[in-house]
Amino acid sequence: MTQPPLIDEELAAFLRGPLGINVASRAAGKVPVLVRCSGCRVSTDRRSVKLYLACSRAGPVIDAVRATRVAAAVFSLPSSHRTVQLKGIDARIGAAEEGDYEAVEHHIEAFARELAPLGYNADMARAMLWLERADLATLSFTPSAAFMQTPGPGAGAPLRAPA
Amino acid sequence: MITVDSVRACMEGAIPATVATCAADGTPNVSYVSQVHYVDGGHVALSFQFFNKTRENVLANPRAAAWVSDPTSAAQYRLALEYLRTETEGPLFERMKAKLAGIASHSGMSGVFRLRGADVYRVLGIERVAGQLLPAPPPRRNLLAALRASSERLNRCADLGRLLDELLACLDEEFGIGHSMLLVPDGAGTRLYTVASRGYAASGVGSEIPLGCGVIGVAARERTPIRISHMTSDYAYGQAMRERAAAEGLSDMLETMIPLPGLADSRSQLAVPVAVEGRLLGVLYVESTEEMRFSYDDEDALVALATQTGMVARLLQETAESQDEAPAAARAARPGGAPVPVRHYAADGSVFIGDDYLIKGVAGAIFCKLLRDYVSEQRTDFTNRELRLDPSIRLPDVSDNLEARLILLSRRLAERCEFLRIEKTGRGRFRLVVARPIRLVELPR
Repeated sequence: MTQPPLIDEELAAFLRGPLGINVASRAAGKVPVLVRCSGCRVSTDRRSVKLYLACSRAGPVIDAVRATRVAAAVFSLPSSHRTVQLKGIDARIGAAEEGDYEAVEHHIEAFARELAPLGYNADMARAMLWLERADLATLSFTPSAAFMQTPGPGAGAPLRAPA
Repeated sequence: MITVDSVRACMEGAIPATVATCAADGTPNVSYVSQVHYVDGGHVALSFQFFNKTRENVLANPRAAAWVSDPTSAAQYRLALEYLRTETEGPLFERMKAKLAGIASHSGMSGVFRLRGADVYRVLGIERVAGQLLPAPPPRRNLLAALRASSERLNRCADLGRLLDELLACLDEEFGIGHSMLLVPDGAGTRLYTVASRGYAASGVGSEIPLGCGVIGVAARERTPIRISHMTSDYAYGQAMRERAAAEGLSDMLETMIPLPGLADSRSQLAVPVAVEGRLLGVLYVESTEEMRFSYDDEDALVALATQTGMVARLLQETAESQDEAPAAARAARPGGAPVPVRHYAADGSVFIGDDYLIKGVAGAIFCKLLRDYVSEQRTDFTNRELRLDPSIRLPDVSDNLEARLILLSRRLAERCEFLRIEKTGRGRFRLVVARPIRLVELPR
């Protein structure tokens, strides 16, 4: 019998929001590497997530994922501080597919709108996340662990008790 | 090679940073961190607030990576780090604790963010990440030019009172910092009292704060600059003072009789200790209603100014002591009119002119000695040296800054009394000017 996906409907809806996203992996010698992402997409069956990266910024992460297949990504909604971390052990780097670049553009504008009432200049969000179409790569994995990381004493707790 | 000090603007907490670590089994972890703090050219410190995976991981595997962003240019940097140690008290801890209080308040996290420790990391490398840059706005002003001009102005000051006023004038005129004050410690080192201020409706000269209270009190206790970039009640003076007064009973009410000057809507605060040879001479405090008004660079400039102020003050003190001369035996003619009662309470040195509180402590004892000599011998000319040697004043120790107490006394008189004043007559000498008859009432312990 297959397990239900770790990402339920509610979490999937959250992950489609205007989130700040960062992903980390492990390089040789247990050295962590990380990069800021420019959006994400949850698969229709909610069993995998695809993160959007700029190759020009993500070099060390791309190399590390190719070598170790491990990834940890943190997703945070600035206005509420709600933060979730997903981890996987089957991460892979892929090329952009149809619709991916448009998803990046959509994410950047949504994130800029999310930050505006918090006092951040929209140009700031655009400058930090922007990437050329030819620079886009993807990092996909099946979440095998999920953690609540909203600031507070409960931060770090598994999001769902293991079945 | 990018140096840590060149990316300090990323460490003001304006844009949240992220940190990645690896567990002993190699599983990566990534999380937001409230504060990446600049320690020195080779180190940063991360705020440790909750026992979490990041903490567990660095204790097992010290390597970490941080991602920081410049809030003006949008430049992004990857920092390769190695965990060294955690500090749970002391200057670095207090600097981060104060900054975190501002960040927490700004992000609606007051009461959630609490600093447990300052995790110190060695910076192994900094890499600039590719990306768009926003055009930089012109700098508010050139801080080095302001520092140079101020330095030259301070060097020309010939007495301590002038030096303190000139320091605050320089902050205003050269740095555009309009609200400032200078406080000096009392002899026992448990309190600080205001001797100069600029930019407030009431000078607040003579107002006191306990050591450890607010950014000024913490800066004095830890001998380190304390800087807050957002409004926070955690370091507000009013409430802390009221709580303390209540806890200690009415005996301490005198210290709150002169309100501390300060902006009600202060959003940026910076307190810098003035110290020479390890001895605290005072605390320079500046504030603004603007958020994030004071940067690491402003802090550097004010630390340099405070250092110079301390050295000039020390030189002036030595010169004043060496040039003390016996005063001319001038005797003043007694003014006419009804005598005004001046009461002195020996228990705390407090002095009341009529019913109005003037001053207390050592400054009160000095004032009483001057009036005693005036009433009994009609003496009006005095030297710092004789005050230092007078057993009735009980100066806490020889290095006590008598000059600062005289400045405090003369400024309080100038603000509160029309018929008594103190004028300098030379280095280490001054005159008590009395325009109405005085009846000194001494109340023993």
